[in-house]
Amino acid sequence: MTDRRAVVVWGQVAAHAAAHGRRVSVADVCAVAVSSAQLSGAWLVAARGGDPDFVMYVTDPVGEQLAELQLMLGEGPCHDVLTSAAPVLAADLDDAEPGRRWPAFIPAARELGAGAVFAFPLIVGAIRAGVLGVYRGSPGPLPDRQLGDLLILADVATMMLLGSANGDHQDGDGAGLDGDGAGLDGQAPDLAVHRAEIDQATGMLTVQLDVPVAEAFARLRAYAYSQDRRLAEVAGDIVARRLRLHRDQGQDGGP
Amino acid sequence: MDTELLSDTFVDLADTMVAEFDVIDFLHMLTDRSVRLLGASAAGVVLADPRGELRLAAASSEQAELLELFQLQNDQGPCLECFRTGRPVTAGDLTGPAPQWPRFAEAAVRSGFRTVEALPMRLRDQVIGALNLFRAEPSPLEAADVRIAQALADVATIGLLHERNVRRRETVAEQLQAALNSRVIIEQAKGKLAERRSVDMDRAFTMLREYARNTNQRLTDVARDFVNGATAEFPPSARRQPQP
Repeated sequence: MTDRRAVVVWGQVAAHAAAHGRRVSVADVCAVAVSSAQLSGAWLVAARGGDPDFVMYVTDPVGEQLAELQLMLGEGPCHDVLTSAAPVLAADLDDAEPGRRWPAFIPAARELGAGAVFAFPLIVGAIRAGVLGVYRGSPGPLPDRQLGDLLILADVATMMLLGSANGDHQDGDGAGLDGDGAGLDGQAPDLAVHRAEIDQATGMLTVQLDVPVAEAFARLRAYAYSQDRRLAEVAGDIVARRLRLHRDQGQDGGP
Repeated sequence: MDTELLSDTFVDLADTMVAEFDVIDFLHMLTDRSVRLLGASAAGVVLADPRGELRLAAASSEQAELLELFQLQNDQGPCLECFRTGRPVTAGDLTGPAPQWPRFAEAAVRSGFRTVEALPMRLRDQVIGALNLFRAEPSPLEAADVRIAQALADVATIGLLHERNVRRRETVAEQLQAALNSRVIIEQAKGKLAERRSVDMDRAFTMLREYARNTNQRLTDVARDFVNGATAEFPPSARRQPQP
């Protein structure tokens, strides 16, 4: 069930990129987020050290101001989602709770014309890559299906940000990844049902490769891509100790 | 039913809903108690993320075979049916002819389970997950035990959402995502520790839990600090500050 919806959403992202004659990037993720959930705009903020760091992409001027405002104030949904690892679904910025949580951000956001803000952490466990934020001029909750789609888009954006093998941020515009992008080179990323072995293998690789967790994850995906194998299968082999990755090569070394 | 064990169980669970509360640790304790109270071989709590995927949040054992049984239930099985209908689902004697969920039944029987039950975790009109019980006996739970099992599933729901304003429907989605991400952090930590110390995942999990308990920290925080820490040293050196 989830697979099918994820494939549909990915198809929308890929189609958007194709329509603009470019490789898939976070720009397409943001565009699809806005159109599929009938929102006013979106922004993507990259993280560094677990905190919001810089604005990587915006769909419109108001979105840009909302994103920059949070960075400037050091307060807002972007910060909360990275701290709590939970999305922020502020369906009505006039409610008491948003005003309490973000006393500086809310009045300014209302003045900019935002009625609702929804932010999603771009995370994989302990790996915190950034935040996908969307807003709507009018208040109102997100229907379940749109929430589900935004969560899928957040996952896609996360994979894009984590794609490079050395863990660096992407170019300023989050442009399409190179071969290390583990399948995002025009192909759907591995959006299969989540498996614990992938996370366990990631942890194991931090030791095997002596790298931080974000890089361990990128190397795991890059390896699966280079071997044209499903991520879950490769992870299963690593956890079962049938496969070991080596620090120097970053490629297979066998058991 | 050992009534003293029963009341102790609910007291223990209530006691954990205090400072340093960790939802994954709590759910793990609940599955452990479920096994003991209901004479089950294994138990697990699955949560439905807003995408509709059933994700394992905690299980009484980390054995790969058991985890696989939860994994399979994304396609078929009692948890999926329980999630969709919002009603308890029982499969007594999975070895019987024409089992309802062939692939799941076969895998469960291979692991030594004959009966499986799924109790819904409900919040008003929403089903957010299920408590899944596996037993070696071919007969279903008695009515009184089903009521206990449902009560445990209800406690799991409360634990997941406690301290939050659950009048907001959005709160449920937010809390579910946070719980599921906590699980991922813990899996990453298990992998790192298992590799570092050459232990299996079950043992690694126990080590993390014990350390969290001994230092009065949340399990998720310990796991995150360990994963983000510059070294694979465990227990972490008191002097060295982990990276944020």
